Amino acid sequence: MLDTLAKLLKALNSESAPGQIAVAFSLSLIVAMTPTFSVHNLFILLLALVLRINFSAFIVGFAGFSLIAWFTDPYAARLGESLLTNPGLQDTWTALYQNDFWRLTAFNHSLVLGGLVISLLAFVPVFLLTRVLINLYRQRVISWVNRLRVVQVVKASKFYSLYQSLAE
Amino acid sequence: MKQWIRWSGLISFVVITALLAVFFIIAAGPLAKMAIESVGSDIAGAKVEAGSVSLTLNPIGFEIEHLTVADAEQPMQNLLQFSRATAELEFVPLLLGKAIIRELSVDGLEFDTARETSGALEEEISEETVAADDSDSGTDQDKLPFSVTELPSAQEILAREPLQTESAGDAFEQSYKQHKADIDEAVKKVPDSEALASYEDELNRILSGRFDSLEDFKARKKELDALKERMKADRDAVKAAQRAVTDAREDLGDKLTALKNAPGDDLSRIKNKYQLNAQGAANLTALLFGSEAGEWAGQALYWYEKVEPYLSSGNDDAEGDTPQEPERIRDGRFVHFPTDDPWPEFLLRKARLTASVPAGELLISMEDLTHQPAVLGRPAHILLNGSGLHDVQDLSVDIVLDHRKKPANDTLTLTAKDWHLKGMNLGLGGTELDSAMVQVQGLAVVSGGKLSAQSDMQFGQTRFTGEGKTLFAKELTRALQSINQFDVNAKASGGLKSPQVELGSDLDSRLSEAFNQRLNEKQRELEQKLQARLQEKLQSYTGEYADELAQLNAMDGSLNDKLNSLQAMNERKLEDYEAQKKREAEEKAAAKREQLKDKAKDKLKSLF
Repeated sequence: MLDTLAKLLKALNSESAPGQIAVAFSLSLIVAMTPTFSVHNLFILLLALVLRINFSAFIVGFAGFSLIAWFTDPYAARLGESLLTNPGLQDTWTALYQNDFWRLTAFNHSLVLGGLVISLLAFVPVFLLTRVLINLYRQRVISWVNRLRVVQVVKASKFYSLYQSLAE
Repeated sequence: MKQWIRWSGLISFVVITALLAVFFIIAAGPLAKMAIESVGSDIAGAKVEAGSVSLTLNPIGFEIEHLTVADAEQPMQNLLQFSRATAELEFVPLLLGKAIIRELSVDGLEFDTARETSGALEEEISEETVAADDSDSGTDQDKLPFSVTELPSAQEILAREPLQTESAGDAFEQSYKQHKADIDEAVKKVPDSEALASYEDELNRILSGRFDSLEDFKARKKELDALKERMKADRDAVKAAQRAVTDAREDLGDKLTALKNAPGDDLSRIKNKYQLNAQGAANLTALLFGSEAGEWAGQALYWYEKVEPYLSSGNDDAEGDTPQEPERIRDGRFVHFPTDDPWPEFLLRKARLTASVPAGELLISMEDLTHQPAVLGRPAHILLNGSGLHDVQDLSVDIVLDHRKKPANDTLTLTAKDWHLKGMNLGLGGTELDSAMVQVQGLAVVSGGKLSAQSDMQFGQTRFTGEGKTLFAKELTRALQSINQFDVNAKASGGLKSPQVELGSDLDSRLSEAFNQRLNEKQRELEQKLQARLQEKLQSYTGEYADELAQLNAMDGSLNDKLNSLQAMNERKLEDYEAQKKREAEEKAAAKREQLKDKAKDKLKSLF
């Protein structure tokens, strides 16, 4: 995990496009907010591997968003439940249910649907917010952080050595 | 575009996916074997062992070789085993973790086969089976209408039974003594025959002869009054004695009647208690077939209890209208929609099992077995067909397990045609139904945990044998041998674990009749002995007091004579005295009339 964190820091501090990191975070949000072993997550994983996005950010994002998901899962499940039982949508769900592909997506699982809806709605805001934060970090925070005594202490640590070795 | 694609990532994805697939193919068999053995053992409560489990790819499925399920109650025996089973799985639902078996085929299914090693789970080894065996022994003995050992003798029965004859005899004895004392006391005051004779003499003396004067009359009158007083006192004494005798006679008469009836009551009670009459045979059907029926019902119940928990998990709320438990909300759930092809978590669409049982080959077909019947929307069906059995022309068991809604409704319909029953051990007196041709129709419904079952069996061409050594066993066998056909109907209702079972049959009446005839001789003999003994006891009470009772009767008659005599004397003397007075007055008046008449005649003569 230290290795992954180091790689993320390297990416943050490198010239990697903020968009690559932000997309990785946004994709990890989908995986974290829905049951991991779902067919759509296989597709997300494929995207994370195939697209030139920061995979370390994807993994760290998955870990971080999974913590948040632990608190939001009940709400996501309720949202999915209300959508699946909404009388106005019954015809749609019933039609999708007749098709093996859609059933394979487990769209009729309350947590899958709820988590997917939340993560898709949050996808763009998370992407934009992450990108803004990365830019801010690079422009203002790094120089300020580097001056902090605590950072200087960290720089003297084993973790920083590892980070340095990867950065070279 | 190229700058957005990471080809190494695509290769990694393909490699990882392929590795996972290969791992699944290699590990699936052993993992399935572990799962079958582990989960199976938990369900069966005994070892479940599979020889091998392998994954087949076309079609996707599993092949299981030589599976044994040990009997939890008899660890050296297998509840069932089969040589080979193939399960064909549906691929797409499998990707969602849903095990939908399109077809299951089981060959060489056998029940109750012997094991070489114990099938008990390590922690399950206990002495339960031994205890259960021990507790079973003697059950029939407890239920018997009377002991299958030799009947007790009349003397033994009388010695152990509290007898009404004895208590009635004691009451009679005490009562007699009390009345005897009362009568003796009263009789002492009664005048004897001499006293009565002296009354007669004295009365004659007072009343005989004419009254010489008024003083004479008054003296006699005074004497007569004194005599009357004495006679009155004696008469009261006689009446008191008579009353004492009457009371004694009535009381002792009642007690004597009770005493005389007591031996009959004792005999009747003893007969009922020792079931020497036909009533003893009234519940013999339950005793004869109860254990066998209980065993069959026990086996059916055993399998039902094993299967029932998996027929509905309570997690199969198909339409999403069942509220979830709070702790499960975060896990979410599948909401199902109407479809022709529902996917429960587990579904056995079709199964075909061929089973070898001692009676022959059984074909078992199953359809739509799932623990989420509400998702499937169809009840499960199990059909047992025994058309290839040696001893039954046609056997059909149709089971419908409908757990789509609560309460669940499970139905079993049984039909057996021309079942050639052989060597059926009956639960009583070592008797055996050697052979019979049986027709069976049965229907059992379990709804909401309540059982309602009815079965009718027609036994024909029956032949009974028995090797019992006891009197009862011999008599029972002889009675049964005289019967060649009978019907048995069984009803069960109530809670599934402890249903009220009723076994009825015309065998009861037939057996009762035949049994009665066979028992009559012995019964009569014992009854005669009992009666003789009871009569002896009766005589010991009544015999001793027979003379006294006769004397009482005689005494009653004697007292009555005395009372009549006193009464007669009293009435006679009054009549004599008044008649004398009247006669003298009439004579005097007549004499005066004659005198006046003569005087008148004389006067008339002197005038002419």
